[in-house]
Amino acid sequence: MSGARLARTVRHAENAGLTFVTFADAVVPAVPGSPASARLDAVTRAAFVARTTTAVGLVPEVPTTYPEPFHVATQLASLDLTASGRAGWLASVTPGDAAPAAYGRAPVADLDREARDVVQVVRDLWDSWEDDAVVRDVATGRYVDRDRIHRVDFVGASFSVVGPLITPRPPQGQPVVLARSGDVAGPGRDGERLVDVVLVGGTDVAAARAAARAVVAADPGARAVVEVQVVLDAAGRTGADRLAELDAAGPWAPGTALRHVGDPAGLLALLAELADDPAVAGVRLLAASLDTDLPVLAREVLPALRADRRTAAPRSGATLRDHLGLTRPADRFAGAARATA
Amino acid sequence: MTDPTPQTRPADETAHPITRPGAEVHLGVFFQGVNHTTIWSDPESGSQTDFASFERVARTAERGLFDAFFLGEGLRLRESRGRLHDLDVVGRPDAITQLAALAAVTERIGLVATQNTTYNDPVDLARRLASLDVLSGGRAAWNVVTTDNAWTGENFRRGGYLDHARRYDRAEQVLATARRIWDAWPDADRPDGSVARVEAHGDLLDVAIDPTTPRSPQGHPVIFQAGDSAQGRDFAARSADVIFSRHGSVLADALEFAADIRARAVAAGRPEDDVKIFPGTAIVVGDTPAEAEEKARWVARQQVTPATALHVVGTIWAEDLSGYDPDGPLPAHDPVVAELGGEGGSSTTGARTHEVAARWRALAEAEGLSIRDLVIRVSGERGFVGTPSAVADRLVRFVRTGSVDGFNISPWIIPSGLDDIVDRVVPELQERGAYRTAYTGTTLREHLGLRAPLTRRGAGAADAREAALAGV
Repeated sequence: MSGARLARTVRHAENAGLTFVTFADAVVPAVPGSPASARLDAVTRAAFVARTTTAVGLVPEVPTTYPEPFHVATQLASLDLTASGRAGWLASVTPGDAAPAAYGRAPVADLDREARDVVQVVRDLWDSWEDDAVVRDVATGRYVDRDRIHRVDFVGASFSVVGPLITPRPPQGQPVVLARSGDVAGPGRDGERLVDVVLVGGTDVAAARAAARAVVAADPGARAVVEVQVVLDAAGRTGADRLAELDAAGPWAPGTALRHVGDPAGLLALLAELADDPAVAGVRLLAASLDTDLPVLAREVLPALRADRRTAAPRSGATLRDHLGLTRPADRFAGAARATA
Repeated sequence: MTDPTPQTRPADETAHPITRPGAEVHLGVFFQGVNHTTIWSDPESGSQTDFASFERVARTAERGLFDAFFLGEGLRLRESRGRLHDLDVVGRPDAITQLAALAAVTERIGLVATQNTTYNDPVDLARRLASLDVLSGGRAAWNVVTTDNAWTGENFRRGGYLDHARRYDRAEQVLATARRIWDAWPDADRPDGSVARVEAHGDLLDVAIDPTTPRSPQGHPVIFQAGDSAQGRDFAARSADVIFSRHGSVLADALEFAADIRARAVAAGRPEDDVKIFPGTAIVVGDTPAEAEEKARWVARQQVTPATALHVVGTIWAEDLSGYDPDGPLPAHDPVVAELGGEGGSSTTGARTHEVAARWRALAEAEGLSIRDLVIRVSGERGFVGTPSAVADRLVRFVRTGSVDGFNISPWIIPSGLDDIVDRVVPELQERGAYRTAYTGTTLREHLGLRAPLTRRGAGAADAREAALAGV
């Protein structure tokens, strides 16, 4: 839970050659009342490692359901600035009654609609400053060109935001948006993509590959990433033994992710099978224990993937968009005021 | 824009007795981000958003053994007559996000995030501040501010729902809720090892949560408060560790403010020195008094550009004066507005407009001032101007007369604006035995010499605890 430990873990992930790390989050704990549920805010954790790393993508989970969209947009734009274009956003939904009780609000009935509205307005806000809005024109005394900063005037089903953002456009233009399949249904208001990277799963490899193909069929520009839980043979114990022990403490919900329990060679075979489908752009490895599984991934899995050219270590100075093959989007408001002036 | 304030001459300051002879000066730095006092037109002025600018200032402050690095908060961009205000530095990162990144590249300096209690959810705010506090090893602080205007609320789910009179009630309830969340995690006071559920139900908020954030080494983030109204002062006296004041340029004024805060703290059941006083200020130094004065004049003219001067006067006249000559006289006609509207983000109200205009006109006529000179003249306290030695003498006098505990310095240029102070003023303070020569603690609470958080002082401080948790 300390800053030093967090920095060490993420640096290890970067050195292992992972493309991005995600920071899971939830405002309410899985097991109320237990110190085992300790968890710090995801954006704050990602920001803490923004300058202790130089290449790896940083992807905090931020729910769409209750937080203030304006703050979410500001925080993620700030993370992208601080991390020099390496920020992503895992946009999630928060069902249940615990979160609305924490926020003092009625439960959101339509999670899909709320998620769509929030991702839409956050994307609008990221574009509310054009890239060249700061002009520093000494002759006229203008620091910014007000024609290049736009209100968003977003009106959603449960909230509205006028904008513009308080933060200039982030380095990637739009930080990369990730979401689990089905959590944020696009397209956006003008037919644009709301989710850049869709996280998919399946009961087996074939199902996961099919899910990935469905993502790409619906939007050829989107990326499909398969979630894989891993419990590796490590520290002299089998993955199966480790999983049994974990489950005894509280079952590890499989969710929709694939799961590999066993040796690194088996994981490599699974990953190769996934990667053979061109629709699969990558995998999100969900380690049972970072302390235990990450060293094995770094030592025995990632080098083999690189040797087979199935992945490349992220490059310092490149953006997360670069690493995922996503282009930097044009600003949706660019030229709007001038066009009508 | 503040009203003209007569400058007390440093010589007059020696009349006040030294009541705290061994007291040390504490310093903080405020990276402002949005205002006209940050010069952007000079070639030395760097980026307002690149991380490198923030890191440079924070590291310089840490080299100078400062207590804290402050960031403001933005909720909506300023507007003027319905259009975006374009003359000042604007556009900044989220405070807590930026401070978290800075926490990893600094070791000791405190990290203060300005955060509004109206347009933040208590659970998010408490959790993000606690996260920064844990990750930084106990260096986080929250500068509590309030807002009530509906204009700002247009960016938020909750909208502009709060009565002006109730803004501090909401602040009190949010802060008390945050304290309950910060106290929920097990420690020596909760030896059974369980996490307490927090139920906070005030008339302005409703929170029920099982908190997930462990304690930091300093117990709670340090609480700063920045409001100057009677309500704001009472709130600080009941609930804050530090008040970030506007009373640090004129010693007599600073002493009066300090006496007022101490009286209010005692009335709230706290020791009189329990609330530390940190006025905001600026410092300009030169090798000679004349050189410092010359530099201060240059700074003022860079801050008040011709366009800014016309804008400031235009704000009072409520019309576009951009066609006027900034080096010429004020408009010959009186302001014609009864009520000023559409000045988003400004506190100037219509009722005061005529009064201010009349005063400015009298001042300009009496002293023969142009529009730009007048705006420079009325731009309020100019802080401390002089040789490093003379500035150090005055800073020490302010602290040792008991008027303040330290100063929160706003550099007028980013990112180099703190260099002179750290390289030239701090050594002078150290020579006088009035400044630390090394950090002695690791947490911000230790740097500031604060007692335990108000809710964590045991049975002897039950009144203070009750006051700090009032309202929810």
